[in-house]
Amino acid sequence: MTMSVKSPVPRRRVLAGLAAAPALLAGMSPRGAAAQAGGTVNFVGWSAAVDQVKAQISAFERATNLRVNYENFPWAQYRTALVTRLVGNAPIDVAWISDAWLPEFAEAGWLAEINDVPQLMRYNAEAAEYCTQSMIYGGKQYGLAYYGDHMSFMYNTEILQRAGISTPPTTWDEVVQQSLRIKQQGISEFPLLLSLAADTWLIEFVSALTFAFGGRFTDEQGNAVMADANRGAVRAARFMREAIHTHKIVSAGAVETPEINGLRAMGGGSHAFGIVPTYRIRALNDPSQASAAGKIRIALMPKGGPDGTNATCGWIRFYGMTPGAKQDRARRERAVKFVEFFGGRDTSGEYSMQRLLLTDVGLPTCAMPLAQDPVVQQFWQRWAGGGEVIAQQATLAKKKDVISPWFGEWVETSNQAWQSVCLGRAEPEAAMRTAAAKWTELKRAFR
Amino acid sequence: MSTTLDRRPGGSGRRWRLGLGYDERSAAILVFPVVAVLLVVAAYPILYSFWVSLHDIVLTRPLRRPFVGFDNYLRIFDDERFWLAVGRTTFYTVVTVAVTTILAVLVALLLNEAFPGQRILAALLLVPWATPSVVNGLMWKWIYDPTYGLLNALLVQLGLLERYRAWLGDPDLTLLLIANAAIWKQMPLAALLLIVTMKAIPDDLYRAAKVDGANVFQRFVHVTLPALRPGLMLVLVYETMISIRHFDLFLIMTQGGPGDASFTLSWLIYVETFRSLRFGTGAAMSYVLAMATFLLSWAVIRWLGKRL
Repeated sequence: MTMSVKSPVPRRRVLAGLAAAPALLAGMSPRGAAAQAGGTVNFVGWSAAVDQVKAQISAFERATNLRVNYENFPWAQYRTALVTRLVGNAPIDVAWISDAWLPEFAEAGWLAEINDVPQLMRYNAEAAEYCTQSMIYGGKQYGLAYYGDHMSFMYNTEILQRAGISTPPTTWDEVVQQSLRIKQQGISEFPLLLSLAADTWLIEFVSALTFAFGGRFTDEQGNAVMADANRGAVRAARFMREAIHTHKIVSAGAVETPEINGLRAMGGGSHAFGIVPTYRIRALNDPSQASAAGKIRIALMPKGGPDGTNATCGWIRFYGMTPGAKQDRARRERAVKFVEFFGGRDTSGEYSMQRLLLTDVGLPTCAMPLAQDPVVQQFWQRWAGGGEVIAQQATLAKKKDVISPWFGEWVETSNQAWQSVCLGRAEPEAAMRTAAAKWTELKRAFR
Repeated sequence: MSTTLDRRPGGSGRRWRLGLGYDERSAAILVFPVVAVLLVVAAYPILYSFWVSLHDIVLTRPLRRPFVGFDNYLRIFDDERFWLAVGRTTFYTVVTVAVTTILAVLVALLLNEAFPGQRILAALLLVPWATPSVVNGLMWKWIYDPTYGLLNALLVQLGLLERYRAWLGDPDLTLLLIANAAIWKQMPLAALLLIVTMKAIPDDLYRAAKVDGANVFQRFVHVTLPALRPGLMLVLVYETMISIRHFDLFLIMTQGGPGDASFTLSWLIYVETFRSLRFGTGAAMSYVLAMATFLLSWAVIRWLGKRL
């Protein structure tokens, strides 16, 4: 015989209460409340210039009476976070996009073209050609620039002066000679700084070096030529290996030096030369952030080898609108206003966000009219000793020729190949052959 | 036909159909939410990920996800990165598990003795174990740092090293250095598990062994070690399962580098799934890793069960 004790609270009432709980919780959530509000722009970016973005959002909300839901993720996880949200049809209206992801995002149907939005397209007339081209894929333009930058060759004037060097190097051979001189005098153990950790910056560093050596990764048809000894990336790879293992002017620890640590080392005055994103010049010459402040200057990217050029690698980040936002008339109107306010002129006709990003963070702008702005000119004078070299280098910046729908997959193999060369574990030719084979495999699989 | 339930305690109601009384039905209803949650958060993802592993899913190509059967599994075994990762993972797991277990036995033997400060030492032992994995990874990354690392400073000051070096940048040392960080964190728990087992060994056995003339080493081999079998089995299985799937230290300390020096299976799965966004092959690799972990654990239990 089984004993049974009845609960004083009826079972049905308990179950009914449990069933109602999720509905109550949903009603209490902030998302639930936000969903009820109208006139909202959902904007996603990575965790950079957060204060400046928030300030501009406040200005946008005041000027338009619209609300902005702003989410940001660390750069290292941003692409994955954004892709998963896009796959899950999250209600994103505008997002920051890297030029490196444009083909795969456009192919996936996650970005809306803006060719039929004259309100935004008119800014092309005032944008640097390179920036506009970097936002075009398959003949369609997909946004307005957040900022455009390039890799710069920077040098420490004090170290050069102490070594008795009057002018910065103009070729990579001179970089080696001057570095050896600095090293022999005991001024710096590793005069040349290369940040070669396998992070998202590595392809920009090696592209800058490859372009300076007159090489390419792919030809005009998008076929891999990186392993070609005469026109590929092999010369640049060989230079890096010799700089680390033969001349010992670059630390073997470069393979575990991410860009941010390289910046700190350059700012600490440990290195005479370095390849650094241009926008870092502000931090490097800021006494509150760098002990070498005031001593860092920019020269044109040195030429490498017989076919060398002063070319460097440029990149752009831009405001992209999602198809979901474009298809809905009200959302489209709000998103276009947002993109214009941030990537173009604000309601008072100023490039306020572009100027703010430059003066506060150092991010170079794509808006050409700002070059004549006295505030901008003062900025470059104060932090870089003038903007002439930077402007000249910007005209020599090249878009990464590996940007493709399969870039995200290929770059993993490429990073490993470059690191293997730097570790002395692979011949430059063999490493570039590995990268080329992966490129060809992915290109073939994409068809 | 009537559907009225008999509400009397032990009443028949639908018992003739369901075979359940009021108590059983109440229990089933109360347990149902937990079962439902488990089905949603555990069973469904496991089954769904298997389904994913049978498709060629690349997130950046959302409009095509063909069913490919076991092609993803076959592709993995053709991928030289996979075999490279298997080799790295095996080496890392063997080193980590072996050193952790040996150190844990030694520490357990020490702390099983009564001496002044024994309790403080036992408490301090738990500090690494209580340290979050991310903090542990960052701490060791700083210790190994080529410019301001404690290890470099110590060795240079002791005259054992001429100049600072990039420890994690040396592909021959990378896995060992990561294993060291893992051992530092995992050894305390292993030692704790073994101490608990040691406390259960009757003193009579040691006294009898002494009477028989057994020395310290013989008492360890013939009394302690056999009695430690359940604890050792637990430690070996647990440490193997943890080490083979280790990911956090690799993410924080080396990101699979330098080159491919720390390219383990977990890292390969991460790269395939979250960087290349190939969810199909990523899921297939995860299943292979799960099966390998299961088989290895089963083998350890079988082997240890027979040997000890």
